[in-house]
Amino acid sequence: MGLAITAPDLESAPRRPGRVRTNLLPYALISPSVAVIAGILAFPLGMLVWLSLQHYGLRELIAHAGDWVGAGNYLRILADPLFHQVILRTLLFTLVCVALTVSLSTLIALLLLKVRQAVRIIVMSALVFVWTTPVIVSVDIWQWMFDYEFGVINYLLTQLHVGNFIHHNWFDDPIQGWSVFVVIVVWGAIPFVTITLFAGLLQVPSDVVDAAHVDGAGAWQRFWFVTAPMLKPIFLIVTCLSTIWDFGVFTQIYVMLNARPSADYYTIAIYAYRESFGVTQYGLGAAIAVVLVLVLVVVTFFYVRETVKVAEIA
Amino acid sequence: MKLRKATFSVLGLAAALVAAACGGTATNNPATQSGTLTVWLMNGSAPQSVVDGVNADFKAKYPNVTVNVEIQQWGEIGTKLDTAFAGGSPPDVIELGNTLVAKYAAAGALEDISGKKSSFDNSGTWLQSLTDSCSVSGKLYCVPYYAGSRAIIYRKDFFTAANVQPPDSMDGLLTVGQKLMTAHSSDPNFSALYFPGKYWYAALPFVWDFGGDIATQSGGKWQGSLNSSSSQQGLTKLNSLVAALSRADKTGDEAKQDAAFAQGHIAMIIANGWEVGVITDPKAGDPSLKDKLGAFPIPSHTAGQTAPVFLGGSDLGIAAKSTHRDLANEWVATFTNNKHMTEMATVGGVIPNNTSMLNLGTGINATFYGAAKNSKFVPNSQNWASVENANVLPDMLVKIFTKQQAIPDATASASTRITTLLNGGG
Repeated sequence: MGLAITAPDLESAPRRPGRVRTNLLPYALISPSVAVIAGILAFPLGMLVWLSLQHYGLRELIAHAGDWVGAGNYLRILADPLFHQVILRTLLFTLVCVALTVSLSTLIALLLLKVRQAVRIIVMSALVFVWTTPVIVSVDIWQWMFDYEFGVINYLLTQLHVGNFIHHNWFDDPIQGWSVFVVIVVWGAIPFVTITLFAGLLQVPSDVVDAAHVDGAGAWQRFWFVTAPMLKPIFLIVTCLSTIWDFGVFTQIYVMLNARPSADYYTIAIYAYRESFGVTQYGLGAAIAVVLVLVLVVVTFFYVRETVKVAEIA
Repeated sequence: MKLRKATFSVLGLAAALVAAACGGTATNNPATQSGTLTVWLMNGSAPQSVVDGVNADFKAKYPNVTVNVEIQQWGEIGTKLDTAFAGGSPPDVIELGNTLVAKYAAAGALEDISGKKSSFDNSGTWLQSLTDSCSVSGKLYCVPYYAGSRAIIYRKDFFTAANVQPPDSMDGLLTVGQKLMTAHSSDPNFSALYFPGKYWYAALPFVWDFGGDIATQSGGKWQGSLNSSSSQQGLTKLNSLVAALSRADKTGDEAKQDAAFAQGHIAMIIANGWEVGVITDPKAGDPSLKDKLGAFPIPSHTAGQTAPVFLGGSDLGIAAKSTHRDLANEWVATFTNNKHMTEMATVGGVIPNNTSMLNLGTGINATFYGAAKNSKFVPNSQNWASVENANVLPDMLVKIFTKQQAIPDATASASTRITTLLNGGG
């Protein structure tokens, strides 16, 4: 998707007979990469599309032969109101998570520039800790923290007189439940984005920022007109990656809700998984997954185009 | 070319010999049979000592066969089974939850063992519900392994302190519960009857007791019936009990109920017999509760009778793609023979697979064994697993208990979904 492969410039090469062989060299060099990408991306994706055009239940799975239904699976999910709901919900969730992740990470990265070395090391270590904790482990801990009966969050909120949170169920009300998931997902995403942005900030020449300061630019203006444009490529990449990750969020919700999320907590990834493995309709699940990929292509198209543009200028 | 042909035929002969050695029939000399038998058992089903004993007996008869018993977790077992059966070499013997068998049998994943029924001990007195779960279109696809039925586990000391007796009717259950709630009114965490919202196995007795059911079959078609007036009556009764007596998580499941019970703020839970062991476990529970626990059957709304309970349990199937089907059959026969089945009941504390051993339940276990006699089963359809995996019942209960939907609406939409799923729709 993000690959900008330009054909070798044949025109500028000196035209001499017998040089055709040499011109194949770039293709030969790139062929291993193409083969690997085809093997690990194109082939499974092709299989997914092929599967999505069949009725593929357990019997077909065991016999390794499906019934061809053409667009049947797609027509069925498009007619399903739950599917529309799930897509909209996933998009909204992604929007909120990405916006929070990128803005909070930017603030932390800027803060890291200002603090003393010791504080910076402590904060960076904490971030790396969060980053290296396996998702399953951290979600398990979050689950206990938000637990209905034994959770420390309910206990603390009650002790702090925020309200009576004894036996408060965070997942009764989907708005509250989704807020919890936003917290968990953003918490997990901040380290990577912060460290990447911080690395970018270190590359911004301080004399340019200082010059702006001398010219009377305020803190906000220095950030918005000087620092941010220089960081644009990095912003584009972290936003693009966050969008892809948050759109496909699965583990956090699935583990937190004991592998039995109710329909209120379906994201598109969970919905595809439930239809595939829960109801053993692998064809239908594949169709949902294909739609997931298509939506993601549309959503990330903008970012990818911008990234490629920036790369071409550089 | 000639040489190559010769090589091929030698190879072919060798392959045939190997195949004969591996897939040898029971009539062959056991001592000469070799290979590796893979067995999947579920976490917590058989005590290690029983499994070791079975393997020792098996080894004595088949010294050259290696048996690998792999313990699986319940959580994602459906996914794991699907992929295992789809692959070329599934495990040879598989323990299957009794609600899952029909799905795999109908899909052709399990061997038809109708002709071998008599090779298993007690096959004449197998528990009817378990035998039913193994039967698809009149053919037998698995061997009943063990059963589990639920009753109410209660704190005898709480009952004595509140001066109440185990009730003999559903209304009595409410009255007793209310007295316990009053006696513990200073404890904001107290539940007289702890009932997590997604606990559908424990909700079924209420539906069945009023004559309701999950679905009924007529003319080959299934019709969801949780919205029938009798089903709704049962759920209304349960809803009022939960509202008055339970402070359990209305959206939670029963996974943590034993740990919660051991904390000492709960008077009653609806549980399996083996959960007594979890409650009094030195690590996960509280061993000092051992003498304070009692059990009584879930009472019917008709005084003096008990409500029918869900008969859970497991069966043992043999993979149709297994290359050691006869050995697998032999292992299952050893595992379920008189000697080892008795151990399962006495050491494992589960309900054995046949009625002739039901007298083995003593003490608190006797209540659970008794409950098995008045038991029912979910619709025996190859599509039932889809209903389970789509969370139709837990979701319906959560909607009712949290008052997101009224009982008629919640049951109507659940019934519609069940009708669709049981008849093969998505």
